[in-house]
Amino acid sequence: MTLSLFDQFLSPVVCWIPLMAIAITLPWILFPSPTTRWLNNRSLTSQNWFLSQATSQIFLPINPPGHKWALLLSSLLIFLATMNTAGLLPYTFTPTSQLSINMGLAGALWMGVVILGMRTQPTHSLGHLLPEGAPALLTPILVIIETISLFIRPIALGVRLTANLTAGHLLIQLTSTATLAMLTIMPVTAIFTGILLFLLALLEAAVALIQAYVFVLLLSLYLQENV
Amino acid sequence: MLSRLQAISVKVTDPFVSLSLVQASRSLQTSSQRLAPVPPLPDHGGKVRHGLIPEELFEFLYPKTGVTGPYMLGTGLIVYLLSKELYVINHETIYAICIGTIIVYGVKKYGATVAAFIDSINEEKVAKAQAAKDSHISFLTEAIENEKKEQWRVEGRGMLFDAKRNNVAMLLETNYRERQHMVTNEVKRRLDYQIALQHLNRRLQQEHMINWVEKNVISSITPQQEKESIAKCIADLKVLAKTTQAKAAA
Repeated sequence: MTLSLFDQFLSPVVCWIPLMAIAITLPWILFPSPTTRWLNNRSLTSQNWFLSQATSQIFLPINPPGHKWALLLSSLLIFLATMNTAGLLPYTFTPTSQLSINMGLAGALWMGVVILGMRTQPTHSLGHLLPEGAPALLTPILVIIETISLFIRPIALGVRLTANLTAGHLLIQLTSTATLAMLTIMPVTAIFTGILLFLLALLEAAVALIQAYVFVLLLSLYLQENV
Repeated sequence: MLSRLQAISVKVTDPFVSLSLVQASRSLQTSSQRLAPVPPLPDHGGKVRHGLIPEELFEFLYPKTGVTGPYMLGTGLIVYLLSKELYVINHETIYAICIGTIIVYGVKKYGATVAAFIDSINEEKVAKAQAAKDSHISFLTEAIENEKKEQWRVEGRGMLFDAKRNNVAMLLETNYRERQHMVTNEVKRRLDYQIALQHLNRRLQQEHMINWVEKNVISSITPQQEKESIAKCIADLKVLAKTTQAKAAA
């Protein structure tokens, strides 16, 4: 069937049965729970190795009370990374390209971190609204600016992920449409566009992993401020 | 899983239904009911051709269609889908070719390295355990050797005791002989003293007797006897002088 440019961003439905649940629970299927064996197979060993490395990296600068968030942030990283990379395959639906999912994750987690900070150490949390070493005259303006920046954070988190993935997917669609259209008319240009498509696909693979890492890293930074 | 079923069945009030549920699912369990020891995992996964298609398909089709059978099946399928437009070539196809090339290239180039790295993680685990086991075994072997040496040392203890015993016996013997010498010497001294005493007694007696006899003799000599003896002596002397003179003249 002929696909328009935005068909890939529609919620997947088969005979009016929504497949969104399957799309979101895909990472859960791909990462099995720890076994009772001492030595695992290659896939499980590599997953465990990657997860332990990533978690220790992310939680290195966070003080011990923040380590309670380890499970949440590491599972979030795996979730986002898997969903982003799975979306690179053709004819797949990428849930993280939807603003609803990303805003849901970003808003809820950001609010959790801020409320945690405000409840456990309100003075310290509010102190972040005035950066150190600022001249005294600028204090009122700086507080306003910092407050705005604080409230922009969830929007930034969600929209960053959405925009990156949506833009990447759209570019891929456009470039491949151009290649297909010019394949019969101007083959040489089609070859150039094909090379562009290759590079774009490589970039998208990198972006998929990087964006997931950035999301979790920023959340860990907000956690560091507030815990 | 059986326990979970039983837990669910407890909530069902009718006992016959719960029992029949448990019994019904029993027929679906095909593996042997055994939890330990956990059966060993196969070392390698099932064989696949071209990274996607299991080898079993090729073996299944080989008796009827030979070696090229599965490939003909694949080609035929793809041609059928394309010709009937069940699969439409659109921009996603181009992208699929692109990403497919990237994935295949990536796996071919870096697959072995990544696999070796992951295997090394497992091997490090095994090596650590093996090293601990080896060090423990070597420690125990050393302990056994030390024990054997101590036992050998114990055998020599008998000789040590014999030597000590001899030493002590010699000391005792020497001491006994010394004491015997001492005893002999003391006894000899006492006896010598007694002998000396007796000699002294004898001598004193003799001297006393001699003195007494002399005194008596001297006191018994009368002056008459004295003159006679002196005259005799003079006469004897004269005679002697005559004889000597005669001898000298001759």
